[in-house]
Amino acid sequence: MERVAAARGEITEIVGRPSSGRTSLLVACLRDVAQSGETAALVDTEETFDPASAAQAGVDLRRLLWVRCGGRRDVALRAVDMLVRCPGFALVALDLGELVVRLPATLAFRLKFAVRRADVALLIVGRRRLTGASATLAIETRRQAIEWAGPGPAPTRLARVRTTTAVLRARHAPPAESPSRWWRA
Amino acid sequence: MSRFACVLVAHFAAAAVERCEPALREQPLAVLTQTANIKILVDANAAARERDVRSGMTETEAAARCPTLVTRSHIEEHVAAARHALLEAALAVSPRIEDGGAGIVYVDTAGLERLIGDPEAIGRRLVHQARTVGLVARVGVAGSRTAARVAAASASVPVTVVAPGRERAALAGVPLGVLDLDPPLAATLARWGVRTLGEMAALPREGVTIRLGPAGLRAHDQALGRDHEPFRPWTPPPFWEEAQGLEWEIESLEVLTVVLETVLTRLCGRLGAAALAADVLDIRLGLASGGHHARVVSLAYPMSEVKPMLALVGLDLEAHPPPAPVTRVAVSAHPIRAQMGQGGLWQPPVPAIRDLVSVLARLAALVGTDSLGSPTLVDSHRPDAFAMLAFSPPTEPDAPARGDAEPRLALRRMRPARRVDVAVVGERPARVDAQHVVACAGPWRASGEWWDTEAWARDEWDVALGDGALCRLARDRLTGHWYLDGLYD
Repeated sequence: MERVAAARGEITEIVGRPSSGRTSLLVACLRDVAQSGETAALVDTEETFDPASAAQAGVDLRRLLWVRCGGRRDVALRAVDMLVRCPGFALVALDLGELVVRLPATLAFRLKFAVRRADVALLIVGRRRLTGASATLAIETRRQAIEWAGPGPAPTRLARVRTTTAVLRARHAPPAESPSRWWRA
Repeated sequence: MSRFACVLVAHFAAAAVERCEPALREQPLAVLTQTANIKILVDANAAARERDVRSGMTETEAAARCPTLVTRSHIEEHVAAARHALLEAALAVSPRIEDGGAGIVYVDTAGLERLIGDPEAIGRRLVHQARTVGLVARVGVAGSRTAARVAAASASVPVTVVAPGRERAALAGVPLGVLDLDPPLAATLARWGVRTLGEMAALPREGVTIRLGPAGLRAHDQALGRDHEPFRPWTPPPFWEEAQGLEWEIESLEVLTVVLETVLTRLCGRLGAAALAADVLDIRLGLASGGHHARVVSLAYPMSEVKPMLALVGLDLEAHPPPAPVTRVAVSAHPIRAQMGQGGLWQPPVPAIRDLVSVLARLAALVGTDSLGSPTLVDSHRPDAFAMLAFSPPTEPDAPARGDAEPRLALRRMRPARRVDVAVVGERPARVDAQHVVACAGPWRASGEWWDTEAWARDEWDVALGDGALCRLARDRLTGHWYLDGLYD
C-alpha cells in the first residue's frame, strides 16, 4: 500500500477520521522512502508530527525535511507549492490534520503538473479530500479493532490497532494487497 | 636562451614602513611586533643595521645599541600592499613575472631587449619602476632566477648583470649566508669549512646528497646557480565587480530585483568565462540619502547561475531592506574555482544543492528558520524531546534496515498538550471532558530531571473514547492536572 500511495509523479490522498490510521500510513511511506536512500519532505500544518514514534517506525529522520507551519494552512500550501517544484525529493507529504481546506481547482491542477514534471510523489493526509480529479489515488482509512494487553484483567498496555483502507478514487488499478493490517503500538 | 631579472627589496618589512612614511628613510628604523609582553624586532633598515641592530632583538636591547632608533609596529596590511605594489611595478616592464616572496620578484626578460635595450637598461627600468611605487630595489640579471637573486642580494650597486654562462664564476665568491639556509645545515657546512658558494659548488654532488639529503642538494643547486622549481607566472587578481548607476530612485524591491538581475547576469557571464564560481556576494546599494546599504550574502555553495543567486539576494534584501530609495547598485563576487562532482551510479537521486539551497531559503523566509529542518531525538526520557538540525541528508546510502513484521502505530502530538478534565473511577480514567472512556490501559509512570528545577513526573494512559478517538492522556503528578498528550492515528 505504501508503494502505491507514494507513486512518483502522482498525487495521492489519504483521508479518514481521527485514529483511523492515516498518520501511520503516512509514516510508513516516509519510512519506505528513507530506507531506499531517498529524501522526503513533510509539510506539517498543525505541527503534530512525532519524531519519536516516527523513529520507532523506522524513519531515518536525517532524510526528512520537516516544515512546521504553526496551524497556517495558506503557509502550508505555499510550502508544498515550493517543494514539489524542487526535483530530487522522492516524496512531499502534506499533513492537513483536522483542518478543512478548500483548494481552488486551478491550484490543484498546478500541483498536478508540477508533481508530474518534478517526478515527485505528493501525499496529502487530511480529514476530507482536497484535490478532486487531480488525485490519482484517494483512499480512506478506517479503524477495525483495538487490542489491549496486560497481565491482569485490567489492561496495562495498548498492544496493536487494526485498520483497513477503502479506495475512493483510483485512476489506475487499485492496490491488490489486503486492505487490512495491524499496527503495533 | 632565457634570461631572468630579480628585483630585490632588502629588509622588506622596514621598506614597507618607509614607503608609508618616506621621512623615515634617513633614520635608523626598526619594526616591532608584540609577543608575550615584550616587543621583538621583526626587521630594521640599513641605517639601523649599521648600528648593529638586528632582527630578534628586544626593543630595549635595540634602543641601547642605537639611542636614535625610531620604532614602528608591524602592520601586515602595509607589507601586503608593498608586495602588491612591487609586483605591479615589475608587471609594467614585463608581462611574465613571478612572485618570489616578500620583496622578491622574478622577471622573465626574454624579448625585452628589443623594447628596452641591453640587460643593464632593463635592470635600470626595473629599479625606476620600483622607485615610482616608493621602494628602493636592487636588480640582478642572470641566466637563472637563483643566480639573479644571489647577484642582486650580494651586490652594492642597483643593477648587477651576470654575463651568460658566467653564473658559477660570478657566484663563487659570494658568502654562503646569502642563501638563507636552515640553521642546522648552515652549521654543518660551517663545520666543514664551506663559507662561499664557490666552495659549496665544488663539493661532490653524490656526497652532498648522501650526507645532507634533499636540503643539501637544493643548496648545491643554488650554489651552482640552478633553478630548482619551474617559473610560475603571476597575474594580478581580477576585479570581480559589476555596478549599475541609476538615473531614478528605486523604492520597491521588485524593481530593484530587475536591476540586480541585470548586474548579476553580467557578473555571472564574466565568472563563467573564467570557469569560476562565486561563494560570497557583496551587495552595495547607494542610497538617495547619501549613505550606503551593504549586505554580504553567503551563497552556501559556489555557484555561477543567475537565478539562484538572484533568489538568495532577493530574500536577503527582503529580510534586510534598504532604509532609503536606491540610486546605485554594485555587486562584487568572491570567486573560487568550483570542484566538479559526480553522482553515484547506484545512488538514488537527491535534490541538487543549488535547488535545495534556494528552496530552503524560501521556506525559511516563509515559516522561519526554527520551523525548518530535520528532527533529531534528544537523549532524554522527557516526552516530545527533540531538536531541529539543518537539513543535510547523508549522501551515502545506508545499510538496509531490518524491517518490522508489523508496522508501528503513529502518534499525533498536541503541541502544547491540551489540558482536559478527567473523571476517575477506581484510579482509572472514566470520562474525558464530555466523552466517556470505552477502554484504557495504564498507567505508565515516568519521571526525570528531579535533580533540577525542570523536574517532571507523569502517569500515561492509553484511552479509547466514545467518539472513536484513541488518545494518550498524561497526568502530571506534580500538579495533578490531566493533559491530552496526543492522538494515535
